[in-house]
Amino acid sequence: MGSAELLQFAVAGLKNGSIYALVALGFTLVFGSTGIINFAQGEFFMLGGMLAVFFVKLGLPLPLAVVAGVLATAVVGLAFERVALRPRRDSGPLALIIITIGGSMVLRSLSRHAFGGNELSLPAFTEGPSIVVAGAAIERQALWVWGLTIVAVAGLSWLYSKTKFGRSMRACSLSHEASRLMGIDTARIVMVSFGLAAVLGALAGVVVAPLTQTSFNVGARIGLKGFAAAILGGLGNPIAAVVGGLALGLVESMSIAFISSTYKDVIALVLLLVVLFVRPEGILGRATREKV
Amino acid sequence: MGTVAPRIRVVLLAAASLVIASVPFLTDDRYLLKILTFVGLNAIVVAGLALLLGFAGQISMGHAAFFGLGAYTSAYLTTAHEVPWLLAVAAGTLLAATGGLLLALPSLRLKGHYLAMATLGFNEIMSVLFVEMRGITGGNDGLSGIPFPSIGSLVIDSPAAIYILVWAVAALAFVGAANLVRTRPGRAMRALHGSELGALASGVNTVGLKVQVFAVSAALAGLAGALYAHSVGFISPSQFSLEFSILLVAMVVVGGTGSLTGPFIAAVALTLLQYVHALIPGLSKDAAALIQDWEVDISGLVMILTVIFVPGGLAAFLKRRRSGAGVEGEIA
Repeated sequence: MGSAELLQFAVAGLKNGSIYALVALGFTLVFGSTGIINFAQGEFFMLGGMLAVFFVKLGLPLPLAVVAGVLATAVVGLAFERVALRPRRDSGPLALIIITIGGSMVLRSLSRHAFGGNELSLPAFTEGPSIVVAGAAIERQALWVWGLTIVAVAGLSWLYSKTKFGRSMRACSLSHEASRLMGIDTARIVMVSFGLAAVLGALAGVVVAPLTQTSFNVGARIGLKGFAAAILGGLGNPIAAVVGGLALGLVESMSIAFISSTYKDVIALVLLLVVLFVRPEGILGRATREKV
Repeated sequence: MGTVAPRIRVVLLAAASLVIASVPFLTDDRYLLKILTFVGLNAIVVAGLALLLGFAGQISMGHAAFFGLGAYTSAYLTTAHEVPWLLAVAAGTLLAATGGLLLALPSLRLKGHYLAMATLGFNEIMSVLFVEMRGITGGNDGLSGIPFPSIGSLVIDSPAAIYILVWAVAALAFVGAANLVRTRPGRAMRALHGSELGALASGVNTVGLKVQVFAVSAALAGLAGALYAHSVGFISPSQFSLEFSILLVAMVVVGGTGSLTGPFIAAVALTLLQYVHALIPGLSKDAAALIQDWEVDISGLVMILTVIFVPGGLAAFLKRRRSGAGVEGEIA
């Protein structure tokens, strides 16, 4: 295999990897502030793409439709937390997991009712031929994928480290009780983290829709991949989510290059299981003991 | 269950068994019998999943894959190698149990949500394998011409006979599960659900117990899958999707934790929901199509509402009505 071809696979890997990273960031955000895995995270990805397509069909110009799609998904995320999760906030993880599973069922099915069962596509953000670098063709949309990922990660890091809100979020991830005693409105933090997770998922769904098309049932698999990325890096750490996402994308595209394209999904999932079994705290994570 | 006088329970149980057993004598509608056979098959899976989720408090989103593993194993052995039916079904059950064991050993050391994701990943891996391992599974076209159940020269080929076979197995599964939860392993499971540390401190081998329950419940799913393959004669990958896994979880959640009766009733109800058109004769075609179209939404919503408002599920609701006492088992 020539170096140009290898580069082409690496480009594809980093492109998919950025998408996984965005979805993984959503998992990490919600896990950080609530300690639960949001099984509806993949549906936010699906909703972002589907809603943007819907707004384009309504006649909105593409940039507006994209923003509207992301914002509408954020509203769904906030509403989902407020209506379905908050009533059982104090229950154990099993109840909350089951609610998010039920939520993903309902969101997926409602989306089919609203937008139909067909594959839909979104126009590319910038028209034009692919850019050729060292023999590898890079679609213009891939630049959007990377650009938006960088913006999202930078924005999130700033939020986490520099703002009062970010500090409250980090406090919540350590202890809800203590945070509440410090005067932090934990309920609001949890709700906003669902909103932000929805934004990140929707962003990924919108920006990749021109490349892959989208449909009502894309959520489950991308959710699983995003979770694999989050676990691979180490759950709860934003940087680790990005590293995990890019690593997963690269492993996947290299396995297409050297092994087989048929089993690329299997390879990602087997990797997830292996990491879960061998090193559940992830590559960058530190081992933690369950609190008594 | 302890709140109802044993005599009433026996009467209710006998009445339910009588109704189920008398169906083949009351109708010879092939389609209706087939639907009720599906109900029985789902009930078998739910018996196992109720043990796992409702008693031991461990979630599996991969039971459709175990169901498929049993179905494909038994179908492949009987069609390609002419293995006797009983042996093929046993092999399917055993393979599902082994798969469950291999998945459970490492992942049950993990906390709840990791296990959920591990089983979800397993379900997706199996979905891909069912499509891609064409030599065995027939790919997207599936496997057809799967023979009817037969023991020696006795061939069970009428819808009524298959119905009886499936429900006999379902009855055995429930009797077995009911015995299990009343004895020492059952108490250990409940202790585990209540508090893992507490159970551990009381001398329960929590990991061993979880692995065993997981294997038993995977085996029951595999057994139901094998029976399914031989009663419909055709299987394809779409029948063992994640949606089915989630629907099974919904049945147990809606049915209630710490109970077998509740999940059984929920399994019957949620399975029949898919076939309303055949069950309510007066129902217009449009209304039936509407209900089928919204079936996933209904199941999902009922699941969410159950967890929010009736955490103990159908079982707790029944108990509360009967005894007026507090709820014992809830999803915590």
